[in-house]
Amino acid sequence: MNSFLRKNIVMLVAVLIMAAFLIAAAQGMEKQDFVITLLRGLAVGSITFLVASGFSLIFGLLDVLNLAHGTLFMIGAYLGWTVVVRPDTFVDMLTPLALIVSGFALGDVYPLLASRIRLGLSMRRILPWGMILVSILLFGFILPRYPIAIWDVGNYGQSPVTFAFMADSGARLPVQPAAFTEISAPLAVIGLLLASILGAFGISLFDNTPRTVRLSWKNFVSIAVALVVALVGLIFNDQLSAFFYCLNSNWLFFIAVLVATLSGVALGGLMEATLIRPLYSRPIYQLMLTLGMSAIGIEMVRAIWGRPEFVMPKPAFFNGGGEACPATNFADWWTNHCSTILLFEGRVRVYNEIFIPLVGLVVLISIWILLQRTRLGMIIRAGVQDSQMVEALGINVRRVFTMVFALGVGLAALGGVLGAPSTGLSNVMGESLLLNALIALAIGGLTSYPGAALGSVIVGMIQQFIIKYGQIGIVIPFTDIIFKPTPPLVPASTVLLMVIVLLILPNGLLGKKE
Amino acid sequence: MENILDVQNIHTFIGQYHILQGVNVRVPKGSIVALLGRNGAGKTTTLKSILGLTPPREGKVIFNGQEVNGLRSFDIANMGIGFVPEHRAIFRDLSVEENLKIAERKKGDYLRKRDFIFDLFPDLKRLIALPGTSLSGGQQQMLAIARALVPDNQLLLIDEPSEGLAPVIIESMMSAIRELAKESTVILVEQNFLVASQLAEYYVIIEEGRSVQDGKMKDLAADKAAIHRFLGAA
Repeated sequence: MNSFLRKNIVMLVAVLIMAAFLIAAAQGMEKQDFVITLLRGLAVGSITFLVASGFSLIFGLLDVLNLAHGTLFMIGAYLGWTVVVRPDTFVDMLTPLALIVSGFALGDVYPLLASRIRLGLSMRRILPWGMILVSILLFGFILPRYPIAIWDVGNYGQSPVTFAFMADSGARLPVQPAAFTEISAPLAVIGLLLASILGAFGISLFDNTPRTVRLSWKNFVSIAVALVVALVGLIFNDQLSAFFYCLNSNWLFFIAVLVATLSGVALGGLMEATLIRPLYSRPIYQLMLTLGMSAIGIEMVRAIWGRPEFVMPKPAFFNGGGEACPATNFADWWTNHCSTILLFEGRVRVYNEIFIPLVGLVVLISIWILLQRTRLGMIIRAGVQDSQMVEALGINVRRVFTMVFALGVGLAALGGVLGAPSTGLSNVMGESLLLNALIALAIGGLTSYPGAALGSVIVGMIQQFIIKYGQIGIVIPFTDIIFKPTPPLVPASTVLLMVIVLLILPNGLLGKKE
Repeated sequence: MENILDVQNIHTFIGQYHILQGVNVRVPKGSIVALLGRNGAGKTTTLKSILGLTPPREGKVIFNGQEVNGLRSFDIANMGIGFVPEHRAIFRDLSVEENLKIAERKKGDYLRKRDFIFDLFPDLKRLIALPGTSLSGGQQQMLAIARALVPDNQLLLIDEPSEGLAPVIIESMMSAIRELAKESTVILVEQNFLVASQLAEYYVIIEEGRSVQDGKMKDLAADKAAIHRFLGAA
């Protein structure tokens, strides 16, 4: 017992202080206000946690400060929105994407192929660049001509804002399916496949370390899957689009979450393997790179989805209305799927304030189990301390790096798509959330997983309580003065707390001394 | 006798520093070879170069007849080389058991080798659930060696096993190393000449990044002048 106390003293004190603050806060407001604010704090904390935990995993193991993390969070939201509001666009993208991926899916085959080819030194220098150049030219020629049904940012009637608004009110704008007019379908498919293989082969030639590769059917599974997806997406394009349009909003939302998260995973893996990996010996360049990636990502989102903010429709499961609503208890809610529920006399939005914290909790526990109970988790925990020693044990640490980066970005994308129905989508959602996540990590401890969770919840709570007190005012103790915090105090308060915590505990609440 | 490892004239750079400037080490199968030399001579770097942790820029490392320089460290380790680094590098956030399990190359390695390891280091058995940080220096050293024994390694690279340990513990450490040397070949880096001379059959002296003398340990032990000149020890 004593050793437990000693080990967790900081955590216990932090929880006690938080409890004291919450009790104090509860005196100053109505019960329903308190409950709602508490739940909102948890919701904001959960989304922050999804970003912060991924960021902290990546920083802990790879020593990479991924400043693009907020942008990847935002991209997750926009991708999820696309699946829900314009599933036909998503279906149209399937084929080209699968073809682009297919070349890279051959991974291990290239080194084997390269070892068979005997070339002169100058040729060996030129060849990879030549292949990449041809690949880029092919992509550049085919992709703009590939037919993808998409909204029109410049035309208000066809803009994402209008599509979002219509989808939110349950109607669908008629969309024109895209057809191959500028390029023939077989040419496009073969061209993309060729470009992808050339690009992947070219990139693989830069890696000169000899490796022992044994070919097996496993090397060809991923390319087979990619090709099947590409062909199905091409041949059954119309049927797939129609199928998605008819799907009910719950399934569509589920698929959106899945697609956004998996895209995040893929994007993260790709980013680590191609851009981050060559720069491990130059951390400053890495930092600049992720900062640049962040800016590029934001501009890409602006170019594709436009600047105006819009909403993502909530799934029907959490969006019921009518006379039976708001629900008075959970059984009642289960039958009617009301968008709100009465808890302690307050109207609580089920999706925002109950579902999101629940998902946050599920992710918290799953990642904890992954870290504590699996071999991968064991390798990650060991690698955070000494990745060279882990490699010396015969473990391919680089592969683990890629997996963790992919996992971290996947978590951010999951946060984005989950947050989108409650906070809406905007070009700046990523930056502000990354700032929140960084403050949460500084408070909780940069590389501590429980610290990420604690810090995120603290940041979410403080912000929501200050917002609430901005509305109802707070009586300053022993005086009659009613103080109403202004909106700028919301971010300022968390920064202030961060400063206080770091002055007392330089490693954050749960961070370890390095 | 057949050499399990043949290090031929390797040159290793760390950053811009030319640390190894021609090191040759031949390791006969089944023997214990000690790398001797003063602080900063390049003994640890030699071990790391064999494993590719600091890849040599020139020269060859031949393990079991296969050239391994240029391969990635984990590939080299997986050929059957275990590494017990200086300062042990026990993983703090892992329990003693996890510190052993992480070294598995095939599923079940740990279960298979558990009894052998606990016979060698009986202390570890009762510490199994503790976190790696709570061990004493001697226990950490035992754990570090035990970790290298979990997979089937043919060659063990052991760096400064006696460093910072009490004489009694050094004694039990030495008998453990003798025991495990029956199963595999060992390269030992050791500052303590007394320990090295009792354990090793062969030696290589490294001075300023070069291997300057090698031979049988019993010849060196008799040559007080050489010991004094190269190692500064009596």
